[in-house]
Amino acid sequence: MRSVFGLLIVLLAVFAAARAAAGPQKPLGDVPVMHEEAEAAGIRSVYDGPWEFFVGGGGAAFDCDGSGFPSAFLAGGKNPAKLFVNRSKAGGPVQFEEKPLDIGADPKLLQNVIGAYPIDIDGDGHMDLFVLRVGGNLLLKGGPGCTFTLANKEWNFDGDPGWTTSFAAEWEPGQKFPTLAIGHYVDRSAPGSPWGTCEENSLYRPQPGDRPDYSVRTPLAPGFCALSMLFTDWNKSGVPSLRVSNDRQYYRGGEEQMWRIEPGKTPRLYTRADGWRHLSIFGMGIAEGDIDGSGYPEYFLTSMGDEKLQKLDPDEAGRGELPVYRDIAAEVGVTAHIPYTGGDKRPSTAWHAEFADFNNAGLLDIFVSKGNLEQMPDFAAKDPSNLLLGQWNGKFAEAGEEAGIAGDRKGRGALIADFNLDGCLDILQINRGSNVSLFRNLGAKNPGEHGDGPPLPMGNWTEIRLVEPNPNRNAIGAKISVKTGTRTQTRSLQVGGGDASGHAGWIHVGLGTAERAEIRVQWPDGEWSASYRVFANQFVVIDRTKPQAAYWYPGR
Amino acid sequence: MKRSLGVLIALGVVSGVLAAGAAPGGSWDERVFGSHVDFDAVAAAGPSALPALIERGRELFKAKFTTADGAGRPKATQAIIPTKRKSGVNPPFSRTSGPDSNSCFGCHNDPIEGGSGDDVANVFVSEGFESAQFDNIDPSFSSERHTIALMGAGLVELLAREMTADLQAIRAEAVAHARATGEPCRADLVTKGVRFGWIEAHPDGMVDLDSVDGVDADLIVRPFSRKGVFTSLRQFTINALNVHHGMEAVERFGVRWTGSHDFAESGVPDAITPGDVSALVAFQAALPPPTVKADLPADWRAAASEGAKQFQAIGCASCHVETLPLKSLIFTDPAPYDMAGTLRASEAKAPIRIDLSTFPFARTLQKNDKGEWLIPLYSDLKRHLVVDETVNALGNELQAQRFVERDVFLTPRLWGVGSTAPYGHNGAFRMLDEVIVAHGGDARFSRDAYLALDPPQRDSIVAFLRSLVIEAP
Repeated sequence: MRSVFGLLIVLLAVFAAARAAAGPQKPLGDVPVMHEEAEAAGIRSVYDGPWEFFVGGGGAAFDCDGSGFPSAFLAGGKNPAKLFVNRSKAGGPVQFEEKPLDIGADPKLLQNVIGAYPIDIDGDGHMDLFVLRVGGNLLLKGGPGCTFTLANKEWNFDGDPGWTTSFAAEWEPGQKFPTLAIGHYVDRSAPGSPWGTCEENSLYRPQPGDRPDYSVRTPLAPGFCALSMLFTDWNKSGVPSLRVSNDRQYYRGGEEQMWRIEPGKTPRLYTRADGWRHLSIFGMGIAEGDIDGSGYPEYFLTSMGDEKLQKLDPDEAGRGELPVYRDIAAEVGVTAHIPYTGGDKRPSTAWHAEFADFNNAGLLDIFVSKGNLEQMPDFAAKDPSNLLLGQWNGKFAEAGEEAGIAGDRKGRGALIADFNLDGCLDILQINRGSNVSLFRNLGAKNPGEHGDGPPLPMGNWTEIRLVEPNPNRNAIGAKISVKTGTRTQTRSLQVGGGDASGHAGWIHVGLGTAERAEIRVQWPDGEWSASYRVFANQFVVIDRTKPQAAYWYPGR
Repeated sequence: MKRSLGVLIALGVVSGVLAAGAAPGGSWDERVFGSHVDFDAVAAAGPSALPALIERGRELFKAKFTTADGAGRPKATQAIIPTKRKSGVNPPFSRTSGPDSNSCFGCHNDPIEGGSGDDVANVFVSEGFESAQFDNIDPSFSSERHTIALMGAGLVELLAREMTADLQAIRAEAVAHARATGEPCRADLVTKGVRFGWIEAHPDGMVDLDSVDGVDADLIVRPFSRKGVFTSLRQFTINALNVHHGMEAVERFGVRWTGSHDFAESGVPDAITPGDVSALVAFQAALPPPTVKADLPADWRAAASEGAKQFQAIGCASCHVETLPLKSLIFTDPAPYDMAGTLRASEAKAPIRIDLSTFPFARTLQKNDKGEWLIPLYSDLKRHLVVDETVNALGNELQAQRFVERDVFLTPRLWGVGSTAPYGHNGAFRMLDEVIVAHGGDARFSRDAYLALDPPQRDSIVAFLRSLVIEAP
């Protein structure tokens, strides 16, 4: 009798385990509590407008006043773009103050903004902005105290007018100033527009001289309605290529693209002969991250329906000789193809994506901003953004609802930054047709018998800033390698990617239970640094000219 | 009656809930854990739970952990962050890379439980990342270390906490001052009379740490281990449980940080709970500090008195500071400066509070005119270089430990030194004279002054040091 009962218990346990294994992975480990507080923080910015502003909807997060706290420049579409200066205190609620923008030019230029990226173009120590527009794009030169002036004329930039939906930049070897890649969407004036009328994209290499000079345009053709671009060193060659994610909605004969951008040479597309394979998606946003510490980046590509997570195919790609990728999204649980809550079973529409460590576990997570294009009936109307938490078994677990980001919004671009400098990453999501969502990360969910208790502190962290002598004082293109115990995590410093959204400033790395870390930097010129030894839970500045890492402390 | 009832209730609270899945054995059960301590219940119960908690800690300190308790860490290394073995399985016992002992008491027993140990119990410290498994005592793989006595550990940790608070307050003030004035601000790092160098804060928020001396760059005073690299008794206890016994504490190795309830694959999930660790911490924190030997024979007393004077005169006390003042004897668990992987104060609904001033040993402590307790530990809790080109017997180690160079050590606490021979970080010195003569580097001037004394004077210092003992309660 006893043995039968015992057998029954064993059988029940096995059955329960099998059922559990069959469903999506539940997050083990901390789920961050993301508290929405845009209104309380003093941010009111709505991205809106007609058809041209169904896409885009981004912004830039960057330190514009030397405080160390990231401020935010937000696209408004038909509404004017706005600048919100960060007034938060370290560890406290996020506080912003709107600063009226006077760029020394027609204020109407701040309308029709699709997104923006921060980049110190002229190397003067003040962050500049590349502003993507429907019309001419803007180069805004940053000055002290969060001031900006239009520099198109000064820097010989004609604005590359069109419908600009993507941007990326890099410093090519030997150049004082960055090379700019600008991605266009549909040519609205072409016959038959929008179907099959994607405009070609542009590359602006700086002309010789002591100041930025973007008078010469190199076409990147054919264009297939580029919604995201990213300079990426996909094969550890030291020479980044330009990935372009294209929206198949309007192209004919198009696909995902990657351009060889070699110093002094005309850009050349990777073709079938180079190993590049055909992939056709509603490409909305590119995110890059090294999720397995191999040194070769993985790419998360947002789309409508299935998202893609591309990993170099070990069988076909050699050791980065050929750009052959395998989609591992289904294997690791990140297809995120339909809403995970709310009951809408139609396919999702995903926009911005980004790899980051939201719970400081020492594993990369993926944030995906979601929202219906406008009123597309074949796609989910209620389409909550995803927070896919990296797990120790190599998979990802959805935690958007638990974390509190699963609202009814039309998410577009997003700024992932530590807005209150407490070591935990926050999310500023730009929404179409409604105010932005500002999710402050309060710490780990603390479930109790009688409801949640106050959030718990999460894992250890480090936030890193790189400094090197000009050109490229912020070391764009550098790779940071953070070693704790036997594990190494990497981060790449890039300008580009996502959905018309970019951030500059502290590079966040979660450290889990490690109290210390060793950081190595591969500077943009390819040279590796010695190891810098740092303690956890500090803001670390690594200056290429100094032997030791230095610590930085917020002044408020 | 009320009191014994209270203790009974507290014992009940401490006994806690039976470990999930564990069937209770008979009264001959070999296992240490029939149940686990419930941290929240103990904290909520207040002071009445403390005697039972400390007693449970003493039991766990002496207990020989078994495989049924989860001892052994077959698939994990000795590293203080969860680290799997590259391949293979750890043997149940490895004298070199661990698990190397059955119980805390196995090493900490000389002259009484919680004390130091014979050389036979020395441990071989290694990071546990590369070459985690080693079967020799070559210093390129590990650093041999002699057991440190835990007497007075609670007082030591309290001193370190106050010193950390002071240093971080100095830094915060310098940062604020630099921002406000727009000028760099230099600040000396001085706490309780001990100088830890200085910092310079710049108006942009950068802090120059190049001249910080004897403490880590994050200005946390870490008073435990030979090199002063562990922050708290709690952190150290969790480390030691894993290194030496292969017992993995949930708060470091549990599902929250590793995705598994049984990271080491011992077959026993969640082997040690936060409450169990608190019991061990409470026992260690409440250990009375060493004292001065009572009833010294007259010749010894005279020599020791002379030796105490010489100890000061030749500069030993510049590092082996006789006393450090302590403002508060309230020991809170969790501690304020631990990081993720050791239970932190904000992770507990309420802390466990142990008022060490209510313990008999507190009555033996002197106070200064500010009412601060004077803790006679004979250490500045600062790290020093003790090796130079000509005097380098203490420079035997080849490995740095947690960012501390191989020839830098925390000033050992000399209270109790008379009871814890042999001497030196690896117990290589049988006699006090030998270890004194081995002091190089920052201590060279004192050591040379010692050698310049005539033999009776040198011997008086030995007499003085031998009078600093650990006595049975």
